Amino acid sequence: MLEILWEALGGSLISVLQIALIVIPLMVLIEIIKDMNWLSLLSRTLEPLTRWMKLPGEAALPLVAGLVFGISYGAGIIIQAAREGTLDYRDIYMINLFLVICHSVFEDTILFAAIGAIWLPVLLFRLLLAVIVCMVVARFWPAYPEGLFREGQRGVKSMLE
Amino acid sequence: MSWNTILRGTKNGLAITWELARVIIPVFFCVTILKYTPILPWISDLMVPIMKMVGLPGEAALPLVLGYFLTIYAAIGALLPLGLSVQEITILSVMLLLAHSLPMEAAVAKKTGVPVFGLIVIRVTLSFLAGFLFNLLL
Repeated sequence: MLEILWEALGGSLISVLQIALIVIPLMVLIEIIKDMNWLSLLSRTLEPLTRWMKLPGEAALPLVAGLVFGISYGAGIIIQAAREGTLDYRDIYMINLFLVICHSVFEDTILFAAIGAIWLPVLLFRLLLAVIVCMVVARFWPAYPEGLFREGQRGVKSMLE
Repeated sequence: MSWNTILRGTKNGLAITWELARVIIPVFFCVTILKYTPILPWISDLMVPIMKMVGLPGEAALPLVLGYFLTIYAAIGALLPLGLSVQEITILSVMLLLAHSLPMEAAVAKKTGVPVFGLIVIRVTLSFLAGFLFNLLL
């Protein structure tokens, strides 16, 4: 029994240490990204990508925020955008769909790389899958033309009020 | 950028390390002990038909289920003591990254005002499809 406990203690401590050695520098990098305002820069670069999903350019910021910092951070920006009325119901659903499939790409990828997974195909697959699923859904759920009555948007606004 | 930025990052990193240590260490202990009981082989035999589809041994169902319902940290704590191969860890990682912390992340998505049941179904389906595909390709 003692041997088993010893195995568990050694194994778990080494694993946590391995992960810590990678996660701490990563968090420093993420703080630097926040400070240098690279987020808005990155979202501007990725604006063309939002067009593939028939989303407005305003969708780029919550998408990038969720991709880099995680789903809660992305959701915060979505809620803010919904309040300002720049995103309608369809946009918000599509951003959620994208982000539940693919988010926190740095932290998640590095976590699994630390425990020995082949990380690059996993990361690429996840990104690609999110883009493809959203493109397919966008095809069957076309964006409303400008100025048309938006049922969903009203729904979201009333929920937030 | 300043020393403050680096300090803040280090603090966040330590906080995350503490969070994951709190989950990984106890789960690691439980699964290591479970490994030496008849319970794990029993669960494993039960799950073989499902896990075979994605090229994983039956006992890999344990980290998968823990990841779906709890967090990635719990899944990592449970998969490490199993002594899986690089291929198996990679398959599990793609499956877990597509679907994890389902109750918690659904709650976050719900805050933005969208129905979440469909999103959960999509995630679990994609998770198994990805596992199937990675098993074929790796």
